[in-house]
Amino acid sequence: MSRRPPKGEYIETDTGNKVARKANLVGTQNIMLGGKTVIQPEAMIRGDLTRLNPPSSTSSSGAAAPGSNTAVSIGRYCFLDRGCCLRPPSRMYRGTFTYLPLRMGDHVYVGPGSVVQAASIGSHVHIGKGVVIGEMTIIKDYTRILDGTVVPPHMVIPSFSIVAGRPARVIGEVPEGGHEAFELRELYKTVGNNPQRAPV
Amino acid sequence: MASAKPSASRHSILPPISQSGPKPPVTFSSSITISDGAVLTGTNPILISSESVIHPRARLDSMGGTISIGKRCIIHERTRIGDMGSEGRLSLQEGNKAVTLEDYVTVETAAVVEAGDTLLGEGTVVGVGSRIGRGAVVGKYCTITPQSEVPDEARIPDFTVVYGNGMRRQDKRGVSALMNKAQRQQIDVLRRLIPSKPEKFH
Repeated sequence: MSRRPPKGEYIETDTGNKVARKANLVGTQNIMLGGKTVIQPEAMIRGDLTRLNPPSSTSSSGAAAPGSNTAVSIGRYCFLDRGCCLRPPSRMYRGTFTYLPLRMGDHVYVGPGSVVQAASIGSHVHIGKGVVIGEMTIIKDYTRILDGTVVPPHMVIPSFSIVAGRPARVIGEVPEGGHEAFELRELYKTVGNNPQRAPV
Repeated sequence: MASAKPSASRHSILPPISQSGPKPPVTFSSSITISDGAVLTGTNPILISSESVIHPRARLDSMGGTISIGKRCIIHERTRIGDMGSEGRLSLQEGNKAVTLEDYVTVETAAVVEAGDTLLGEGTVVGVGSRIGRGAVVGKYCTITPQSEVPDEARIPDFTVVYGNGMRRQDKRGVSALMNKAQRQQIDVLRRLIPSKPEKFH
């Protein structure tokens, strides 16, 4: 009998995050997970691309406060599907090149193979398969981005929009009562080391 | 509540990739930045000129010929340079070039540049998830927007933007000097963020 229990496919943390062992997380010290977030195999998060000189900390006293150079922060019940990639956006700011943090709200689904370089993503956002989100994009709450969309850099997507196309356009609105579909609690339960069956 | 990972000392979760295939002969300039998570395979030489940056999980495959990367290029993660394409193996003569990137080329995340005397001109940007077919010649300061495709053997003139479903237009902004300046600054930042391990590939 071995002393250690067999390794599951996922690392499950105390806060309920389920991170696949086959996920590629670079610079984990700069990635914040809010809890109950699922990261599927082959998903990639570039936490190493941080802001070099945070403008808020004017005092040059050695180490910055913990979490001050967070590159990617993710809320609760987010779901990062296979092969997606989150990377912090970059821009020229006051004549110098900097990376800025990528902030993501709760209940955000990122589809397989999508690449996200947004500055901010609200809560209850559904990003489909093979979507490219350009740099410094701002996506508000309850937005649905359909498969294969290419969102150009610096686009601002208002709440309750449905977005598609290359380049992306707002093609419709989430119907009344349609925001129930954005809940990811049930999806969260269906993965992990002891997955539950999806409700029929 | 917001604590992320089981251990703070671990700075990355990068499962090892099976180093299948041979290790290529490499010629690196001393000033390049190459992450140890990059993957270099193949039998032909790989040349990387000064100040270029190779992100983790970029894949350079020299099976189909020499790969040469110019000065101040940025190769992002999950790119496949020298990909053999859908036809699998292609037969090339001795000393043939698989992929040539001139100076200031950017290849963004998950883009594919296929092997077979493919050339990307100076200052060209290949967007996220795009595919450059084998034998394509892309001119200087072109922009291949994300998820676009440049067909095999295509010739793309200088200052062209390829967008949407294969549509093209001319880039008349005349900002190539500024783009080069931004590229230099980006490389300056990346050099401080990405730990470089060129000795791993020798």
